[in-house]
Amino acid sequence: MYLRSGPNEIAACRTSAPLPTTQSIPSIALLLRRKSSPHHPSSPPPKPKPQNIDQLTMDIDDILASVDRTADTSTPESTALDHQLLTRFWVAERAVPELLPWPTSLMERMMERVRRQIESIEDLAASSTDPITHHSAATTNLTLSILQSDLSRTQYLIRSLLRQRLSKLTAHSMHYLLLISRQQPQSQSQTDSSTPEDSIPEPPPFTDDTDDISSPLSKEEVSFLHAHQTLLAGHYGASFLNSFPPQLRRLDDNAGGTSMVQGPDGKEVVFVRCLVEEVRVVVPPGDGVEVEVEGTVLRMGEVWAVRWEGVRGAWGRGEVEVL
Amino acid sequence: MAFPLPRGITPPEISFLAEMEMVTILPRQRLEGLELLGGPVSPLLPPRRTSLPLWLALLLKRQRRANILPPPWLHPESLELILEIETQNDEYQHAFSPPPPLPGQPAPGDHRRAPLATPRYTPSGEKYYPAPPFLPQNTARDHIPPGEPPALPFHWLEVGTMLLEAASDDLVDPDQTRRLLKELREVRMAKVRAGVDVLDAAAMGGGGVALTGVGAMELGEGRRFIAGVVDELR
Repeated sequence: MYLRSGPNEIAACRTSAPLPTTQSIPSIALLLRRKSSPHHPSSPPPKPKPQNIDQLTMDIDDILASVDRTADTSTPESTALDHQLLTRFWVAERAVPELLPWPTSLMERMMERVRRQIESIEDLAASSTDPITHHSAATTNLTLSILQSDLSRTQYLIRSLLRQRLSKLTAHSMHYLLLISRQQPQSQSQTDSSTPEDSIPEPPPFTDDTDDISSPLSKEEVSFLHAHQTLLAGHYGASFLNSFPPQLRRLDDNAGGTSMVQGPDGKEVVFVRCLVEEVRVVVPPGDGVEVEVEGTVLRMGEVWAVRWEGVRGAWGRGEVEVL
Repeated sequence: MAFPLPRGITPPEISFLAEMEMVTILPRQRLEGLELLGGPVSPLLPPRRTSLPLWLALLLKRQRRANILPPPWLHPESLELILEIETQNDEYQHAFSPPPPLPGQPAPGDHRRAPLATPRYTPSGEKYYPAPPFLPQNTARDHIPPGEPPALPFHWLEVGTMLLEAASDDLVDPDQTRRLLKELREVRMAKVRAGVDVLDAAAMGGGGVALTGVGAMELGEGRRFIAGVVDELR
């Protein structure tokens, strides 16, 4: 089904998704700036005295990391690594209840690669009809079919990922709107709202700065979400909310201490594999308990069914993978 | 509306994932190396063996351009041994047979070595530990160290089924293999069903239920049920 797709689909992908063209180099530069660790490659780290083995291994890890960070992201090895990262991210996004942070630099690299791959497929297809190089038509056809299968597989991953994210966004649109607007300095002037649209928080101002990694949404998703919720609020207003008294028209009503904004349920169960020596499941603060409590221990290679909120931190550190 | 599929990858998507597993092939024709989005593919030079993603190996096999060398676990002898562990061994009466160890993880039963996970680094400097389907768990191996027990990889059912379907002439004893795979599947499904009793442990905060050794497809089939039971018990 999704393994084979014709040029129509390739063309569709090309027009529907805005493909970044020249961002890949600046984004790496930004990334380096953001990770302004003392081990920045251009400013060699002040050599701390290694006190014990742990310290020493930490140093080596950091040095390796900084070398990798400057690594050329156009090598075949980094292509394979990005493919693995995208696949793992897709599986996780499909499995967990909440929206995961948008992997900006990974997606920029992937979209750039897809764009270049489409170009090279088109070049190859054009040259196969060229009478001069006609002798290897059979091999060219095989190569073309392999390249197109590979392209379709990657496009399936990206498309499924984006659609899953849209579905999570629309399911809990007010929750995510409040989440992203709360990160901005709030200029709250709670006037008596007269339409449901007034309860929609303003999206954060667009900046060209990709430094804002705190938002789990991409820029495109923010604008989609805002437009979606504005339409929805207008529809609610036109169909029934505007016949209510003005103080009952808000979509983020907090009356009686119960918020009517529903969010994803972090207590839902996910399946994870532990990839490091040991990971502790945690119980995040809440439900009357103020501190984080530690629970079961996962050991390397084990597969567990646990609450998502219990392993969210470990997932962020890459210590577990969601299955 | 935007997305009709339920949470958690569906069985066709699990097969899709299993097709990323690397397998060993014996090419029957030359083909130059390719730069795929999934990573580079080395040139095909008969009779030199090479490792490819399963989807590509199946594509070449269907066109009779290559033969697939079956992974060591997909052999009647190995499957018999695994079936014996699953049914006879007291330690694994209520658990799946141990999966192949991750890189840096000692073999099951080896308590002398401590596990040590060595990360790779992503371009953003985050740690990355490879896991199936990106580990060579289905490639042919020339010599297996003595004492290493055969183990079912994460995508055993999908890889086994696909190879039986498309490359049965490359397998040692396809009929016997098919029968053993079916038996393994039944034995292990019974274990999944019997494990429902302990599911309330996952309903508590900080708790969980171990499913170590479970296959991807078995997880995909049990996912809705297990998650549903646990969410009800909460």
